[in-house]
Amino acid sequence: MRIGVFICHCGSNIEGTVDTAEVSRIARDYPEVAFATDTMYACSEPGQDGIIEAIGEHKLDGVVVASCTPRMHEATFRNTLERAGLNPYMFEMANIREHVSWIGKDREANTNKAADLVRMAVEKLRRNQPLIAKEFDINRRVLVIGGGVAGIQAALDCADAGLEVVMVERESTIGGKMAKLDKTFPTVDCSSCILGPRMVEIAQHPNITLYACSEVDGVSGYVGNFSVKIKKKARYVDWDKCTGCGECVEKCPSRKAPNTFDEKIGPGRAINIPFPQAIPKKATINAEYCIKLTKGKCGTCEKICPSNAIDFQQQDEIITEEVGAVVAATGYDLFDWTVYEEYGGGRYPDVITSLQYERLLSASGPTGGHVKRPSDGKEPKNVVFIQCVGSRDKSVGRPYCSGFCCMYTAKQAILTKDHIPDSTSYVFYMDIRAPGKLYDEFTRRAMEEYGAQYIRGRVAMVYPDGKGNMIVRGADTLMGRQVEVQADLVVLAVGVESAKNSPQLAEKLRISYDSYGFFMEGHPKLKPCETNTAGVYLAGACQGPKDIPASVAQGSAAASKVIGLFSKEKLKSDPQTANVDIKRCIGCGKCVLTCPFGAIKEVDFRGQPKAEVIETVCQGCGICSSTCPQGAIQLRHFTDNQILAEVEAICRF
Amino acid sequence: MPVLNGRELRIVGFLCNWCSYGGADTAGVARFDQPTDLRVIRVPCSGRIDPLFIAKAFMNGADGVLVSGCHPRDCHYAEGNYYARRRLEVFKQFISVLGIEPERFEYTWVSASEGQRWQEVVTKFTNQVHTLGPLAPIPEVALSQLAQTTGTDIREEA
Amino acid sequence: MLDKLKESIKAALPELDFVMGWGMGYDPLHATPLYMYEPEDVDNLVWGPLNVHNLAVHLPSLKGKKVGIVVKGCDSRSVVELLQEGLINREDVVIFGAPCNGIVDMSKIRKAVPDAHFVHSVETDDNGLTITTDKDTHKLSLAEVMADKCTRCRFPNAVVADHFVGEKREPTVENDAYEDLESFESQGFEERRDFWMTEMDRCIRCYACRNACPLCVCRDHCVAQSRNPHWVSQRDGVRDKFMFQIIHAMHMAGRCTECGECERACPMDIPVLLLKRKLGTVIHDLFDYDSGLDAEARPPLLAFKLEEESIKEKDW
Ligand SMILES: Cc1cc2nc3c(=O)[nH]c(=O)nc-3n(C[C@H](O)[C@H](O)[C@H](O)COP(=O)(O)OP(=O)(O)OC[C@H]3O[C@@H](n4cnc5c(N)ncnc54)[C@H](O)[C@@H]3O)c2cc1C
Ligand code: SF4
Ligand code: SF4
Ligand code: SF4
Ligand code: SF4
Ligand code: SF4
Repeated sequence: MRIGVFICHCGSNIEGTVDTAEVSRIARDYPEVAFATDTMYACSEPGQDGIIEAIGEHKLDGVVVASCTPRMHEATFRNTLERAGLNPYMFEMANIREHVSWIGKDREANTNKAADLVRMAVEKLRRNQPLIAKEFDINRRVLVIGGGVAGIQAALDCADAGLEVVMVERESTIGGKMAKLDKTFPTVDCSSCILGPRMVEIAQHPNITLYACSEVDGVSGYVGNFSVKIKKKARYVDWDKCTGCGECVEKCPSRKAPNTFDEKIGPGRAINIPFPQAIPKKATINAEYCIKLTKGKCGTCEKICPSNAIDFQQQDEIITEEVGAVVAATGYDLFDWTVYEEYGGGRYPDVITSLQYERLLSASGPTGGHVKRPSDGKEPKNVVFIQCVGSRDKSVGRPYCSGFCCMYTAKQAILTKDHIPDSTSYVFYMDIRAPGKLYDEFTRRAMEEYGAQYIRGRVAMVYPDGKGNMIVRGADTLMGRQVEVQADLVVLAVGVESAKNSPQLAEKLRISYDSYGFFMEGHPKLKPCETNTAGVYLAGACQGPKDIPASVAQGSAAASKVIGLFSKEKLKSDPQTANVDIKRCIGCGKCVLTCPFGAIKEVDFRGQPKAEVIETVCQGCGICSSTCPQGAIQLRHFTDNQILAEVEAICRF
Repeated sequence: MPVLNGRELRIVGFLCNWCSYGGADTAGVARFDQPTDLRVIRVPCSGRIDPLFIAKAFMNGADGVLVSGCHPRDCHYAEGNYYARRRLEVFKQFISVLGIEPERFEYTWVSASEGQRWQEVVTKFTNQVHTLGPLAPIPEVALSQLAQTTGTDIREEA
Repeated sequence: MLDKLKESIKAALPELDFVMGWGMGYDPLHATPLYMYEPEDVDNLVWGPLNVHNLAVHLPSLKGKKVGIVVKGCDSRSVVELLQEGLINREDVVIFGAPCNGIVDMSKIRKAVPDAHFVHSVETDDNGLTITTDKDTHKLSLAEVMADKCTRCRFPNAVVADHFVGEKREPTVENDAYEDLESFESQGFEERRDFWMTEMDRCIRCYACRNACPLCVCRDHCVAQSRNPHWVSQRDGVRDKFMFQIIHAMHMAGRCTECGECERACPMDIPVLLLKRKLGTVIHDLFDYDSGLDAEARPPLLAFKLEEESIKEKDW
């Protein structure tokens, strides 16, 4: 083999602490290295052209690039090789940036280490085989998990492009948080007026199948061919028959059920339709509060339902859908703020969350859009907003910024003034973060036109004054003094956290999540809506706090990724799969037992049992290779010999 | 190659591509300083790591070996790290009979977002190996031949 | 009892291609594997402390034939292991078992009887054996020359048998205390390493240890002699020989029944069983599992639990 080695400066990123010229000098003495040089930016166009030129000039048939992480540019350089007419798999990378130059300043040690890593790459490359990807068919259907605004956008974009879409929504209606909002910043247009039509489109689009009140139970398969088990939760109402007339809701005698759509501030029923524009607009029974299901008596709804839709016998049902790609758009939930004892820990009825306040402002909310405080129904004149409750606070394990609370607090202050012209809003804040288009202008308007009183500082305590109102005591750090504000209503801008059970869903999808349960994107900059699992994409706040415009943009981006994926005639499978040496295999079946994907089957070869890998199913984990004692099954490109060669390259005595 | 004038020891890392290798990248991107001893071998999954690779490293003169994969439940391949956990734990306990201190080998889980944890693991592990000092490689040749070159014969001492 | 055993073999023979047992070897002190095809062959069968071989080693290569096998307690565990790994079919093997009082360790006999090369006759009974050479008569108690594994035997009766003759014996011990291992590990790490280096230095790479192992079913494709994968070189150095023993041990992790054949077969008397015993106790403690007892069990290294109660991971 004639190997070419290219040591990248990455500007000064590598060259700053690694003597790249020296590394390339050392590399020239490595076995089968025919050419070695350092280069300014290997990944840039001139850099890649340089590689292509050297391949031709020095008749190279394998290339090592020592630069950044292969997780970044392996694909780039494989392409370069292909353009030069080489098999793209005759390539190895040594990571001398993230693993060397960026983590230590000792130039001598770094140079020595970089040379070692290059030696490993050379030794591995010497044992590479040219590989050719196999092609397989795509099932051009997409699963969208979560029917918030991000999921709705992704689903509609895909469906409009002609793809079949399956949408799974956990609640009994789609719409997510946006459906609960009154108006939206920075334009203060009505949330349900802009979202409603899109929800209707979901219901009516011929390409979309919606499973509400459902959850993903399990996912198997791989990009292009996933098989998804969906659990349709028992709702005790036959949705084929239910017309959404709502008579049952009127008559249901069980009135203690929490109204989750109204964030538990309005009256609830055991049987419920979340709101007039719900999609689907169907009734659902909350089994925990239904008198018939808990005590065996009642059945009022069954008697009253004009279409005979009530079915107390209904059970959870599992259905299977086959899709080729998945978009996760499960959004967020709110931090449980009751850990803050200083705000009353949830004991004061007039200390509410921002989302509850949205419901009080909303015309479809429990008060019909008249702001009335929960304790006595009085219209509040002094409203105090407290920001960053469960955001940017290490003491409660939420060090990150929730992103949109500054903005919606300003919005709510404006709306308060609109609803109650003689009211005053006070906002306790840490910093105002309003970096979007027209955002800063919007917060200024709240202050300047709507007279919202912004006080920079943390609130130390909220307590009742004994006369039916609350006292908010805090510091005004700009004025350097203590302030006390008498409040009729306190609204907490509660921080955002990942949707309930996000880690469990991530495990089913085999994607990563961070320590807060937000799903991990493929790359923080370059792959914001992909994941590291092929065929699984992200949209909206499930990846991290995001406002509506950003969620919608990501929904469209995820859709375009799916459409791009499906625009291919066939998909290519990664050829780095396991492979059985049939002579060495004794058919013991240990590999069959441990392969997590069922990618190995037992076949009969001249009367002897042998293992055989189904290449399109194999994911290339290599568990089989380390299970087989005699090494009869080897993972291509990560063979025993290659890993042993790497070990020997660094432990040479 | 001499181990950098006695400043470094030979430490081999086996990292899964999806989590720990990413975690090490994240640590790099964040410029978290780390000792320079470690050399990382990238494998797709911690389940790919045959403990015998680790044995091989020790035979060839590694002073320490560090394995890191995705946290249990987060394996990109669903189950790889579960198999790995059993194999690696068995191996860790096994090596004491070979005369290798179990502390020379550690396995752990670091996710792609845990750059800080990676820095901590590398630093602590490197210090741990330095405390133990170098581990003599097992001679490539017969002891009689070794005695000729070094002048000492372990066979007599034993 | 031997007669009863012969009887039951003869009765089963018509259905079988042959039955494996032991007969007298090149001298009265050495038994040798005996293949019984005809009823007359059965008369050459012997049973006693000289039946040292674990005949299960031959079974995998006989897959497809219908054969019988006579087993000691320890041998039977190898059979179970082979069944578990699907390397033999239960319908194709008929297992004959009898209670075992322990077998001898030839190395110990060679030490006790310096002129053991010229043996005229050997008398065995339950407690010992009398060896007559051309010079002398030696009376040895079994305890003196018994194989180490028999001193800690937990399964003297076959754990699986189609025909069991004789009265089941009480196990020698209830639990293996692994005293040998404990005393070895009371040394420092460097002493242990030096010990293995000197031992491995003596290894002649004959692979008798592997060939005698009933679970080294890869044989011709053993990684010790393959280039792809190329785990060990053919260099005559300590490193590659030691590496091979580690490979053998690790390939047996969770499978080895500690039958001791590897160590018995070693012409250099290298205590290679110790490595496997270490793994045996580790696996027993971690997973509460003993190999070769349940053909239906899923072996611990091919399984996992989401939460491993007994694995204490390092806290960084
Ligand atoms: C008080 C408040 C006011 C706001 N005001 C504004 C504003 O004025 N302007 C603005 O731009 N943004 C505003 N936001 C932010 C806005 O709510 C989010 O940007 C937006 O909702 C994100 O959309 P999403 O689709 O990603 O998530 P979500 O709206 O949370 O939707 C996620 C959907 O997925 C479903 N789901 C979750 N888990 C599962 C599962 N496992 N299986 C199936 N389905 C699941 C949920 O039920 C939900 O329907 C506000 C937020 C709050 C809290
Ligand atoms: S583990 Fe190895 S020998 Fe056994 S069936 Fe699989 S490839 Fe064949
Ligand atoms: S590498 Fe092996 S264990 Fe992994 S998916 Fe492929 S066949 Fe299965
Ligand atoms: S390794 Fe030795 S003790 Fe274990 S099964 Fe094989 S021969 Fe028996
Ligand atoms: S040592 Fe390993 S590879 Fe060799 S025969 Fe035994 S099990 Fe097979
Ligand atoms: S039987 Fe003994 S001498 Fe032969 S290879 Fe095994 S350990 Fe070495």
